[in-house]
Amino acid sequence: MTHQQHASQILEQVKAAGATGDLIIDQGRSLSLKAREGALEEYKVSSSQVLGLRVIKDGKVGTAYSEATDSEALKSLVEQALLNASFAAVDGHESILANAVKLHTEDALLCPAEDIAIDEQIDFALTLERSLATRSKVKNVPYNGVQDNTGERHIFSSAGLSAYSKSRMCAAYAYALVEEGEKNAMDGVGQAARLFRDLDLSQIVEQTHENCLGLLDGTPVASGHYDVIFDAETQVQLFQTFAMMFSGKSAKDGVNPMREKVGQLIADSRLNVFDKPQNSLGFGYALFDSEGTQTQSTPLIVDGHLSTLIHNSATASFFEINTTGHATRGPKSTMGVALHQLEIGKGQTQVKELLKGEYLLLTDLTGLHSGANAISGNFSFGASGYLCEHGERVRAVRGITVAGNFYEMLRKIALIGDQQFWNWEKSALMPHIRFEDIAISG
Amino acid sequence: MLNTSVAQAVIDHALSLGADFAELFVERSQTNLVSTLSSHVQSVQSGIDFGVGVRLVYGNKVLYGYTNRAEQAELKGIVSKLAAKDRRDPRASLTNFDYRRVEDKHAATRILSVDPEVDNKVAFLLATDKAARAASNMISQTRGSCSQVEQRIELFNSEGLHTGDVRNYTRAFLVAIASDGSEQATGSWNDGGLMGWELIERMNSEAAGKEASRQALVNLSAKPCPSGRMPVVLGNGFGGVIFHEACGHLLETTSVAKKASVFHDKLGEMIANPVVNAVDDGTLHKERGSINIDDEGLDTQRTQLIKEGKLTSFLVDRIGAQQTGYARTGSGRRESYKYAPASRMRNTFIEPGTSELDEMIGSMDRGIYAAHMGGGSVQPGTGEFNFAVTEGYYVEKGKILYPVKAATLISTGPKVLKEISMVGRDFALASGTCGSVSGSIPTTVGQATLKVDDILVGGNA
Repeated sequence: MTHQQHASQILEQVKAAGATGDLIIDQGRSLSLKAREGALEEYKVSSSQVLGLRVIKDGKVGTAYSEATDSEALKSLVEQALLNASFAAVDGHESILANAVKLHTEDALLCPAEDIAIDEQIDFALTLERSLATRSKVKNVPYNGVQDNTGERHIFSSAGLSAYSKSRMCAAYAYALVEEGEKNAMDGVGQAARLFRDLDLSQIVEQTHENCLGLLDGTPVASGHYDVIFDAETQVQLFQTFAMMFSGKSAKDGVNPMREKVGQLIADSRLNVFDKPQNSLGFGYALFDSEGTQTQSTPLIVDGHLSTLIHNSATASFFEINTTGHATRGPKSTMGVALHQLEIGKGQTQVKELLKGEYLLLTDLTGLHSGANAISGNFSFGASGYLCEHGERVRAVRGITVAGNFYEMLRKIALIGDQQFWNWEKSALMPHIRFEDIAISG
Repeated sequence: MLNTSVAQAVIDHALSLGADFAELFVERSQTNLVSTLSSHVQSVQSGIDFGVGVRLVYGNKVLYGYTNRAEQAELKGIVSKLAAKDRRDPRASLTNFDYRRVEDKHAATRILSVDPEVDNKVAFLLATDKAARAASNMISQTRGSCSQVEQRIELFNSEGLHTGDVRNYTRAFLVAIASDGSEQATGSWNDGGLMGWELIERMNSEAAGKEASRQALVNLSAKPCPSGRMPVVLGNGFGGVIFHEACGHLLETTSVAKKASVFHDKLGEMIANPVVNAVDDGTLHKERGSINIDDEGLDTQRTQLIKEGKLTSFLVDRIGAQQTGYARTGSGRRESYKYAPASRMRNTFIEPGTSELDEMIGSMDRGIYAAHMGGGSVQPGTGEFNFAVTEGYYVEKGKILYPVKAATLISTGPKVLKEISMVGRDFALASGTCGSVSGSIPTTVGQATLKVDDILVGGNA
């Protein structure tokens, strides 16, 4: 049975029960390789499929999912979703959009054809590990890997929506442990591309080795307040940790501190933040959201003013505005909102000016999932990086913490660089930002 | 769940391709999640996870695949794909499986497949909300959830093992948000175990709501935390997360075999203060980290990791045993059929000592009492860790002065083990979930209140 036939059968049952609904079918194929001491340590292949149904009956929403696709499981899927809806409170805002469009991503853009043999991918994994393991002071490369993942998503609704996307992501990463006497350090980098042949092995090896050696002599700096620049990875991590500040759902639920601040100045007036889902250079590309709404560029912060929160149709209905195309739902989850691809606009500051004087360059943050409170904005993370002066690394810094309040930090911007950088997963594009007066404990 | 003749044909196919070891892990799990937002039901979700994991071992190389389809042709196809580059001369076929029935030492009484008891879960959560709000009019919102999973597993391997188990996991959470108009702060409560909805019999909605509110109100009044190196007293129960993250992960052969753990060559050596005795025990009755058998089919056990400061054992799975020579400890675990098993913790704790909380607080000139810990992370290669304090107090001259917010503790596993100078009597366990190489698995952490003499505290005072 095809997905279209599965969907028709399921949605007919939903309609027969007097409900409306939509069905997400996610499929994936993946390859994962890991090497150790010159041999393959892991070779993992997978083929997966999961169906997730959302039904709305009498204003009540219910969801259910199944990884099994036998007729009994599919019948149970509808019954479970309807049963779950019966327990829910009436939601006057969530609905199945009257959206009978057909949408289809371009394979040439997101999943270009490539004739690559498994032998080449294995060679890549082995060479990556061996090349690093034989570098000076490298004890071993305990974490490394090569991945080739293809994902497909279908969304069908009782209103006639048929949306389909397919994308591929190839990635490679390596974390090396270096030792010298009693000192040690571990660091690594990753890289992502749509074509396997676009992965640059030597760049991963060189960068990982350089990062590890750089941190080997790291010691804490004296506690105090410093100017801080986060590198391309940690800055994205920081903004993603507090991405709830843009969430219309959190605002609806009463836990977003920005709920009443749309239109107000919340950041330095030079800061401009966007969500740009249709930049196909990034892996956050999305043609449509989880309700089948076509995406568009959304200005979030304009000249320091909060321009809008992000919404699905339900949160938009609650605030009596239009959806911004940020609905997100996995087959196993309920409807929420999420950014697709964050972008911070370029500033005016050239590199030389940005890196003037003394500052801390933070290249690693730890405890992001536990050391942050997105409601209050307070955070305290473990950190490492470099104490720099006029762009030169004076010495490595480890065993410190960086603490503060993210929402206050947005007002403590000293400078914004005039060049943008992707993080390695290519999920966000940002210039370097120099923050001032940040509390560091060493 | 999987026809025995299909399992035998698939494993024989792997042996015909020269695999040293082949294993099928079949899983069908039923899930149910009830969520509330303040005084109403936010959602009820349910589903079925189903799949088969195929593991082949050639020497030290692990080949793993999984699929949602349990047909013979599909499973053989995965075996062929996995073995394509390692094919060797055939090994002798499997004669038959020797079915081994597992005694369920943690039998659940109120299981999901019989009745999800959604009404009862909703009633409990709404009662916690009511109790939380009754504690103070500054509680602006609560978020509650009850999750229940009935995981059925079946294992077949090329050594003739055929066995299976049913695991019931139930967990309840409550988060309370306190607001004074300008600031918001959170507090939480949770409980869970290897059991069905009989968990309700030991939970008290009134106490749960009050505890989440109390924490939220304490945090709302908290001041910025002083920073720098100082002694820290870690509260009992979830305070054990530090040992779990900073030391436990470094004792798993997953990192030991790769020499990616700072403890990989320290067996038999003093790695901790002599007051430290640490255990990983998979046998505790109905605790969240307990199991009857591990995900490789071996009976679980109690493993003494550290005895009076000396490292006495690692946590060892099948591949870890093969690579290091240490005996398996019934610690091969995985989140689901999507992961190959790895050596993982179960219920991990520091055994109680003889000190009292007052004695520990009284011994500090300037320090932090971390009454409740949040999550954290560790880098196994260097042992560096960080943890968030979710309820902390500043202590000066032996007196608790005021609550602090946004505090993080930073150190390394080897250092902190040696800095534990006092261990209390008030032992407690706390349930959690541990994420690592073989996915997110149910675990328990624990300890009595203990004192660490020197640790870096990150704050923004």
